[in-house]
Amino acid sequence: MASHAVATQHKQGLSNGMLGFILFLASEVMFFGGLFAAYFIARADAREWPPEYLLTPEQVASGVKLEVEFWLPFIATILLVLSSVTIQFAVFSIQRGNRSGLIRWTFVSIVLGLVFLVMQVYDYSQLHFGVGDTIYGTTFYTMTGFHGLHVAGGVIFMGIILARSLAGQFTAANHEAVEACSFYWHFVDVVWIALFTTLYIIP
Amino acid sequence: MTSIAIPRPAYAERPWILDWLMTVDHKKLGILYLYTTMFFFAVGGILALLVRTQLAVADNTFVNNDAYNQIFTMHASAMLFLFIIPVWAGFGNYIVPLQIGAADMAFPRINALSFWLIPPAGLLMFSGFLFGGAADAGWTAYSPLARGSGVGLDLWIISVIILGVSSTIGAANFMVTMFRMRAPGMTMFRMPIFCWTMLVTAVLQLLATPVLASALAMLYIDRNFGGSFFDPNGGGNAILWQNIFWFYSHPAVYIMILPGMGIISEVLPVFARKPLFGYKAFVFATMGIGGLGFSVWAHHMFTTGAVLKPWFGFMTFMIGVPTGVKMFNWLGTLWRGSITFEAPMLFALGFLSMFLIGGINGTFSAAVPVDFAIHDTYFVVAHIHYVLFGGAVFAVFAGLYYWFPKIWGRRLDERLARIHFALQFIGFNLAFFPMHLLGLDGMPRRIATYSESSGWETLNLISTIGAFLIGVAMIPFIINVVMAFLRPKDQPNDPWEANTLEWWTTSPPPVHNFDSLPEVHSERPLWDLRHGKTAH
Amino acid sequence: MPSTGKLRVIRRVNLLISAALLAIATISPAFAGWGMPDPITDQAKRIQDLWVFTLIIALAVFFAVEGALLYAIIRYRKRGDELPKQTHGSTALEIVWTSIPVLIVIALFSYSFIVLRDVEKKAPEDALSVDVTGFQFSWEFVYSLNDLGTNTDPNADGQISIIGTAAQEPTLVIPVGEPVEFRLKSNDVIHAFYVPNFHYKLDVVPGRDNRFVITANETGEFTGSVRSCAG
Repeated sequence: MASHAVATQHKQGLSNGMLGFILFLASEVMFFGGLFAAYFIARADAREWPPEYLLTPEQVASGVKLEVEFWLPFIATILLVLSSVTIQFAVFSIQRGNRSGLIRWTFVSIVLGLVFLVMQVYDYSQLHFGVGDTIYGTTFYTMTGFHGLHVAGGVIFMGIILARSLAGQFTAANHEAVEACSFYWHFVDVVWIALFTTLYIIP
Repeated sequence: MTSIAIPRPAYAERPWILDWLMTVDHKKLGILYLYTTMFFFAVGGILALLVRTQLAVADNTFVNNDAYNQIFTMHASAMLFLFIIPVWAGFGNYIVPLQIGAADMAFPRINALSFWLIPPAGLLMFSGFLFGGAADAGWTAYSPLARGSGVGLDLWIISVIILGVSSTIGAANFMVTMFRMRAPGMTMFRMPIFCWTMLVTAVLQLLATPVLASALAMLYIDRNFGGSFFDPNGGGNAILWQNIFWFYSHPAVYIMILPGMGIISEVLPVFARKPLFGYKAFVFATMGIGGLGFSVWAHHMFTTGAVLKPWFGFMTFMIGVPTGVKMFNWLGTLWRGSITFEAPMLFALGFLSMFLIGGINGTFSAAVPVDFAIHDTYFVVAHIHYVLFGGAVFAVFAGLYYWFPKIWGRRLDERLARIHFALQFIGFNLAFFPMHLLGLDGMPRRIATYSESSGWETLNLISTIGAFLIGVAMIPFIINVVMAFLRPKDQPNDPWEANTLEWWTTSPPPVHNFDSLPEVHSERPLWDLRHGKTAH
Repeated sequence: MPSTGKLRVIRRVNLLISAALLAIATISPAFAGWGMPDPITDQAKRIQDLWVFTLIIALAVFFAVEGALLYAIIRYRKRGDELPKQTHGSTALEIVWTSIPVLIVIALFSYSFIVLRDVEKKAPEDALSVDVTGFQFSWEFVYSLNDLGTNTDPNADGQISIIGTAAQEPTLVIPVGEPVEFRLKSNDVIHAFYVPNFHYKLDVVPGRDNRFVITANETGEFTGSVRSCAG
């Protein structure tokens, strides 16, 4: 009777860690899917969009206006897409064993992510409606807010990658965390493109 | 075949309490899961007895309306979110790596995190009782009602989100473990059927739980930041909550029952001494139930007038097809077998006979016009309990009696087990069968009391007696467990002459699980070793 | 050989299951209307027919499967150390027992679809309509006297409003033999409008215009239920 040793990790293809991380991202997609579903159901219910007709006289009197500004978020979008490119450059760098390239491109991506967050907060401060001002305000702040939290999480993730790069922990053969981070950042980017299209362009 | 030395982590000696608190061993975490969930099972059970005490007689004033709303809400929440869903994670944690011949889960530390999120979430949910009242809007937390409820509901929302995170990352962990860490020779279609059901459950959890999290986030925003997701006055939609909630919660019903079916499918072949009839058909039926689970959510909402009734009615009927296939396969497994009736088998047979009723009485709700009559009545309460108690809880006990020798190295006493089974079986039917008749007669669920003129008193009293009988049935079980713990560990590797790899190693297994593994040529590697490989 | 202990268990399982069967067999027909309250509308009668049809199929499936289970438990209990034949499955059987539930599903779905279409028929133009408003914890009924038609004084005019309170249930009187449309609305939470003898229930959802029609065919006083939790 032959005996085998206990199974260890299969080496081909994605590592266990990456597979688990991709599954985690799939669950994130479902989370945003729930929010998008709520948004589109609200739009389908509404007579017009933005639903100005829902505003009470008091809300109108206090200066509530259901409209968003286009250009600032548009610039923020371009910066975020750019940061997706730069984090990919970071991955390419470490794949060739170029550690200083990894550090440089990760740093640039972090800066772009932070600028995006600052622009989003500034954009919030310029809007004339709040989270309580009809379903329009509720969906807008909920969706962009949760996305903003994910951007902040991504910036922290990249910060950890940067710290570990500075400590010299990544090599051409061993840089899985960098790839996971880039996956996450691309995901955040794609969600934003969908959000930007839905919230700023379709109306 | 050459044997490779298995890497064994060197564990520093720690005091046992720290050892349990800091463990990343899937077996210890599995045991922690089981203890925690059985604790919440007891809490939920006590709440159930309070509910039944209140309903025992007409016009009862044992508890007032507010207290009653909190009690039934917390009963359901504890049983669903803190008992049934995590108890499968407990069994899965202990058994899945052993069944596939792995040394641990794929991500041991994430596994520890999954577990340690549960006790604080449970305490958080129950802490509502200290802050002016626990959640009281039912486990379904329907809006707009839930928008106006007290702070206990906020604690409930946060708690359920935390539990959702726990089961989502747990699901990813199970999936990677089963995809990547199977023993040499164990193809996907040689994986034990319990693993298959855990895998499909994990897929459902991974895809459905985040949707619930999004709905809970919306409810929290509505309640605390003036949002209007579910408020028609602000352009929101009261039905939206139900759509998103049931998009999660119907798959969640399968999350709660599929691993139970897996346990039954492990137990029946062992005690009938035959392989599971139609292994592949069973796997496909499991996937079919999982897939259909995402297309039937609106059958909870026929009376809202806001859903496409024929479509959801048809899809709901269709669930009966893979479920029927499973039932026939279980019968095929017993057919011409050589059946003995040890405790795990008793509970497995109890599962078959009771889950059958839970399957059949569900079809009435698929016939949409009949659902108009029985929706939101005690008929539905009977249905959910025949599925989740007659199904899931009987399966939990089948699993406990079956794997107790493996997990704790001791065997539970058969005589006490039979008393436990008989009391639970009778008590269960007394408690829940009358609810069919009450529901048909129009008794709405979730009412705190009813008038004497309704004529519902006798049946309610029978139901209450049954509920207390279930409570009494737990006494022989607890005595049995305590007495087993007082005995020394004496169990051989494979006391049942079972089929799967967890019985290859010692009882309980060493930290690293296996010193060696046999070759796997079928879904019954140990049977093959005992009797030679059988023809397929 | 099976020990006496095992035999005792077998008997006990048999006894329990047959007791359950017996209980179901004796209780079901003992209740008039196959467990449902008297149908008092044309629509309720249709729903009751569907209920009986489904129940008969359900009982047939129940007795067939539970019977097969009992037979297997008794007939195939362990009698010796000889191993049973190791059958792994049968494609033919799988096809057969996939088809059986499919056929049952088609039958049940077809009938329930027809009944659904009939009970949800829209009201004729001239039907009496009652505006029902749900609130915590009672109902308000409003209808126009002009709609009452032949059964009342043709000169009567105006609207009638009946408001209930939590303690005092409102009483609504409707004519027999002609369709009545109920229009449900809610200003607070979701309610469900439910009269057990209608065999019908419809949610009263804030922001939705839900309607249903009944044609009463029996006189009497029937109690509805107020549901403010809707779960």
